[in-house]
Amino acid sequence: MKANQIKIYIVVLALIFSVSSCKKEVKPSTAIDDESALTNPGDIETATIGTYAVLRNATYVRSAHFLTEFQGDNVAQGQPSSDDLSRCYRYTHIPTGTHGANFWKQAYYVIVAANKIIAAIPDNSSADLKQLKGENLYLKGMMEFNLVRVFGRPYPQGNGENPGVPILKEGVPAGTPARNTVKEVYAAAIADLLKAADLMTVAKADIFASKEVAYALLSRIYLNMGDNANAIKYADLVIASGRYKLLQGADYASYFTKIPEANSETIFAIRYTKTEDQDFGAIGSMYYSGTPGALSTPGAQGNTGYGEIYASQQYVAELDKNPADLRHSFIAPYKINGVLQVNTKIAPNVPMYYVTKYNLQEGIANLSSPVYLRLAEMYLNKAEANAKLGNAQLALDDVNLIRTRAGIPVLTLAGIAAENKTALDIVLEERRLEFAFEGQRAYDLFRNNRPMTRNYPGTHALNNTPNTNITQTILPTDARVIFYVPQYEIDNNKNLTQNP
Amino acid sequence: MKIKSLLIFGAVGLFWLNGSEAFANLNHSINLNPEATGTNQFADITIKGKITDKSGPVPGATITLKSNPGIGTSTDGSGNFAITVPADGILIIKSVGYKTQEIPVQGKTTINISLEEENNNLSDVVVVGYSSKKQGELSSSVSIISAEKLKGVASNDVISMIQGKAPGVVVSSGSGDPTSAPKMTIRGIGSINGGTAPLLVVDGNILGAYGTEGATYSPNDVESITILKDAAATGLYGSRAGSGVIIVTTKTGKAGEAKIEFSSTVGFNSPSTGNFKLMDSQQLYDYQKTFSNPDPSVLKNDTNWWDLATRNGMTQNYTVSASGGTEKTRYYVAGNFYREQGTVVNNDKNAYNLRANLSSQLTKKLKLSLLLNGVFTRNNYANSNSLGDGYLNLPFDPAYNADGTPVDPRITPTWKGRDVENFLHSTQYNLSYQRSLNLSADVNLDYNIVKNLTFSSYNRTTFYNTFAVDYYDKRTKEGGATNGSLYNSTTYKNRLLSSNRLKYENSFGENHLTVLAVGEAEKSYYDEANLNGKNLPAGRPVMSTATDIISNPSGGTNEYNFSKYLSQVDYNYAGKYFAIASFVHENSSRFGLNKSGGDFYQLGASWILSNETFLKDVKPISFLKLRASYGTTGNAEIGDYPSLGLYAIDASASYGGLPGARPDQKGNPDLTWEKQKTANIGFDIGFWNRIDLTVDLYDKRSNALLFKVPLPSTDGYGYIFQNVGALKNRGLEFNLTTKNFTGEFKWETNLNMAFNRNTILGLTEGKDAITPGGSQPKAVGHDIYDYKMPIWAGVDPNNGDPLWEKVITDVDGLNHIAVTNTYSQATRQYTGTSASPKFTGGFTNTFSYKGVSLSAFFNFVYGNEVYNNSRAYFDNDGLYESYNAMVLKSGWSRWEKVGDIATHPKPVLGGNHDSNQQSSRYLEDGSYIRLRNITLGYQIPTSWLSKIKISSARIFVSGDNLWTGTKFSGIDPEVVLAPDDNDPNVIPGSSSFRYPISKKILFGVNISL
Repeated sequence: MKANQIKIYIVVLALIFSVSSCKKEVKPSTAIDDESALTNPGDIETATIGTYAVLRNATYVRSAHFLTEFQGDNVAQGQPSSDDLSRCYRYTHIPTGTHGANFWKQAYYVIVAANKIIAAIPDNSSADLKQLKGENLYLKGMMEFNLVRVFGRPYPQGNGENPGVPILKEGVPAGTPARNTVKEVYAAAIADLLKAADLMTVAKADIFASKEVAYALLSRIYLNMGDNANAIKYADLVIASGRYKLLQGADYASYFTKIPEANSETIFAIRYTKTEDQDFGAIGSMYYSGTPGALSTPGAQGNTGYGEIYASQQYVAELDKNPADLRHSFIAPYKINGVLQVNTKIAPNVPMYYVTKYNLQEGIANLSSPVYLRLAEMYLNKAEANAKLGNAQLALDDVNLIRTRAGIPVLTLAGIAAENKTALDIVLEERRLEFAFEGQRAYDLFRNNRPMTRNYPGTHALNNTPNTNITQTILPTDARVIFYVPQYEIDNNKNLTQNP
Repeated sequence: MKIKSLLIFGAVGLFWLNGSEAFANLNHSINLNPEATGTNQFADITIKGKITDKSGPVPGATITLKSNPGIGTSTDGSGNFAITVPADGILIIKSVGYKTQEIPVQGKTTINISLEEENNNLSDVVVVGYSSKKQGELSSSVSIISAEKLKGVASNDVISMIQGKAPGVVVSSGSGDPTSAPKMTIRGIGSINGGTAPLLVVDGNILGAYGTEGATYSPNDVESITILKDAAATGLYGSRAGSGVIIVTTKTGKAGEAKIEFSSTVGFNSPSTGNFKLMDSQQLYDYQKTFSNPDPSVLKNDTNWWDLATRNGMTQNYTVSASGGTEKTRYYVAGNFYREQGTVVNNDKNAYNLRANLSSQLTKKLKLSLLLNGVFTRNNYANSNSLGDGYLNLPFDPAYNADGTPVDPRITPTWKGRDVENFLHSTQYNLSYQRSLNLSADVNLDYNIVKNLTFSSYNRTTFYNTFAVDYYDKRTKEGGATNGSLYNSTTYKNRLLSSNRLKYENSFGENHLTVLAVGEAEKSYYDEANLNGKNLPAGRPVMSTATDIISNPSGGTNEYNFSKYLSQVDYNYAGKYFAIASFVHENSSRFGLNKSGGDFYQLGASWILSNETFLKDVKPISFLKLRASYGTTGNAEIGDYPSLGLYAIDASASYGGLPGARPDQKGNPDLTWEKQKTANIGFDIGFWNRIDLTVDLYDKRSNALLFKVPLPSTDGYGYIFQNVGALKNRGLEFNLTTKNFTGEFKWETNLNMAFNRNTILGLTEGKDAITPGGSQPKAVGHDIYDYKMPIWAGVDPNNGDPLWEKVITDVDGLNHIAVTNTYSQATRQYTGTSASPKFTGGFTNTFSYKGVSLSAFFNFVYGNEVYNNSRAYFDNDGLYESYNAMVLKSGWSRWEKVGDIATHPKPVLGGNHDSNQQSSRYLEDGSYIRLRNITLGYQIPTSWLSKIKISSARIFVSGDNLWTGTKFSGIDPEVVLAPDDNDPNVIPGSSSFRYPISKKILFGVNISL
């Protein structure tokens, strides 16, 4: 065999074998390995930001808002829609409803993300790490409470013995968990929040958790449980911290267009930055539509938002009892040339009042950082707890603090007696005015075992025969004051039971 | 290491074979007949010669001695042979596809033989992956489509041209949008979350899974398409060939005078709307009056939004090519322009394609080929929801103002439509388009090291770059909230591939052996960058005019690599018995580090009975071959990083302006190749050279199926990629071609059909379904596309309520079916129907007389049900008073009064008991037969043309999709029958706001100088 022939063979074989050098692992550029994600304090801090980011996911915030607020009587759906939000509004839930499924999913994603970090930080770590552990515990507790309110019956019913949602322990694979009782979930949320408050020492801005944020949520949880003493105790701890102030006057009127960090009343808000604008996919797009070029002027439906959920006629009537009420700033009548427009898509036709609590942050039509906890609630939590403890004057004192801030007359015990109202009636009326569109109304009524009566035009009337009857009454014991466990979860976890 | 040793063994073997001593040994051992030399009465002489056909040398033809078939040889790559036989012997010359000849030696030492082709296509050389073969010699199931058969249907995508032309190949298009490519599956769906698109191989090198990147070839440059279906054929692409392989070969020049060709096709497209009709103002008013109180003033307008959203478009296709060359150097150079206007306004595709294929025999041993291709495309997309408005806008709303300008609904308080939009207003200013440039360059070397041994190096680099723009002007509804917005997206993709091959080919008597060893590596990078801006001045769709951003810029890089070794042995004896065996080992970065490698093997055999003496005299049978094959292939189309456990660090993980990391993907380091085991048996039979029938039976089992297994949310992730379970596709396909008349009037008929049955065989972890909550749960024992949903039980005659079946289990565990009008009480059940068709096929008739030819091609799909999703919007019993509604199909009726037996519930404003929720109500028979193409052509007689120095000219008129027979109520029953890789929420086989397919009438001329 010729020598050059051998050379050729060698070259050929070398070429063929050269392939073997190409085997190597490739890594994505927009993700990191989960094994290295939590190995040092810097990474844990980054991952904690990631837990908040899950919370920011529109399928959490927006769906959570629809599930909680649209059950109330402050909103009116102004036209039929096949979006699942109609079912939230009309109490015609189905197990495959998208908002329930979104909310459950994202809430558990938050819990799992938090649990990974909680498990990675020993309790005897540095103060910085303990703070981060506390923040994750807060987020976990917040999710547990929000989940159990949506999928479990109000605590006072059966004293919390009804099915709640699964509790996930950190450091343990979830498997296919069954539902814990409402009471157990409340207890888990409280334990997480107490521990969170204990671990957190940094007074972070109101878009992150800190000790007072945990206290504020504890106040709300105890109030929903009917533990009035603790509701007052934790509200007082927040108020006494001095970190928060009630906004006054024009500042208050522009409450929801401020960024949270510049808002001294907000205790915790879910921050959306300018570059995270959800536009038509935002909560605010359902409530408001502006005029292009002059966004703060209400415009036609469809301009900058769907604008199909309005302030209910019932709510506007309550608010109009005091024309000076500053809270008129949070609704916006849609007028053309000064003429109030009516919605012709429901009968009887009704004036269109947009809601503006979720729009126009930094001047952007649908941008908003939904407020989850604010100082006014601490006063009215105390007021409700005091009212139920029989401390009527204490309750009125806090109510009057809020009324004064809103620029409307204070109330006296004598005055309310003359109207045949109890202190609790007054507190609930004030909570309705103050926290309208903030996801509180239905829970305010149902935890106090009160029915909700909608008596205003809206698509809920389409449930009635004939649908000219606009009244809908929901009893607190109605099966539908809570939502079905998402069918997807039941299909993929045989241990989950469905709500009746 | 296993592989290296194997290759070294193979290489050593080649050295050994090539040594002269080894040759002698082998020759000796093959001459088994001890009498071979002893019985000769005449002295042996050595004869040399060349065997040719009308187009050149015939390699691989066998030459044997009639009196002693043990003595024989075959021709080399240049058709030459040498054989030593008695001087009075008779030689038998055989080659598949040619008539066998007997040549008496008569003492001659040089014999050149010209073979005459048999009148069929068995002698056609078919490219099958790493080698080419005569069609008649294949052991595997392969469909071949020549350039001739691609004529007719006008498209810029080859795949849409092969619809219905090969059995078992299902091409389905969910849209008539010229910028969207159809989907293609071969022999059913073999994977659920893995890709189901076949692997595309162009000019000998892997291009990627079909649809994953822009075409790097123009249909006009295609010489032939080969579709490999069974494992023996796809084997060499083993690891990625689980969904079949399509091999595209582009044109090359032929030695001789330069040939200059020009072709031009121009025609018109119109939207096809089938059985679908929307209401006009009067119809909608009358309908709405039954459940609400529309103001009679709405009748003053009657806008036909569908007509405004659609149009008659134009298709243009021009190609100029020049080809030719010498014995040593050949060229093919072509330029093409394609423009198709979609039938939805503002939508069109413009493509410019250039190709240069050059090859040169540099030395006697070295051949160099250079293939260059560039495609520039500009796609303009329908924007501002034009099609959606066409379906849903109310005829009550006016489109134009009195002065002829489009109405801006935002400043029209009387506007009734739900979405408050008029695309005619928006599309005055908004834009959506993409430009792309796709370049590929191949440098191929073939080096004939020594006789019988060739080394080839095939190398390719491809670039695919795109720039996309979406612009919403501040004057429009879409851009109003942001004061004008602009989105730019840039992608940049490179692929490098090198495939190095060593091929040994030799004949020993009647034994013909080919051994192939290949080493191949591929690497791909994909970069993208997206940015957006807002606050732009009107009419300035460029980023520099933006003064703010909508969201943060995004972008990233993805990469993957593959490397593989393969070896193949191909053997045939006497042109009668064929066997092939191959082994492939491949690594991919896409799988877990623990399991990145995969081994695949394939075996195939065939027997041409018609070459046996016992069939020689059976005159009616002109050809008969039996084939069998078995082998494994794989699937790697599951994204680039499916095995890794990941925290996302992109914008979705940031909060409050700070970068974050959130759990995003659950890891599975044991994730590995999905494997298909395919068994295929088949036969090809020809009668009187007039009737050709090919039948194949296959059983394709996918094991270690790649599933995106859904997880309960308490797991913290939506899914995990796992290898779980197995599924089976079993089927029968046939292809029948008959030449009914062969005289001056010719009539040829082709019918092909494929029957495929898909079944999920089993799942791990005791699961009985992969997506138990889905409308296609993919459960054990079921077709993956079997529907499961509430079963519609009609309309309650007493009150017009919708009814669904509710299964009640009694105390004895027996199921009874009741009905309910509460959707949440309805039981999700298997409907007994599926999105998978029972059979698919095509039927072609071609007639020709003198220069006139007429061909009519039908394709058909039978036995599937389509989920007509968009009826929830325009057929929903009053849910929406602010959307238009469809006119009920004939035979449908609405409930009006007690006692009515109706198909549609009583309309109720806001909806009647969730009657539009997912149920079998919206499942419709998706069977159809379509006249896909009809072409009438005329070949102008050369006698007329020679005067003007034109060697040939043909003119034709052709029609696409002119007629469709179906019961489907939507605009078109053709739906995508493969999973949507981009959107897992799309139900395969569903129809939603369909873009109408085009009916086309085209006029064309082909001229050759």
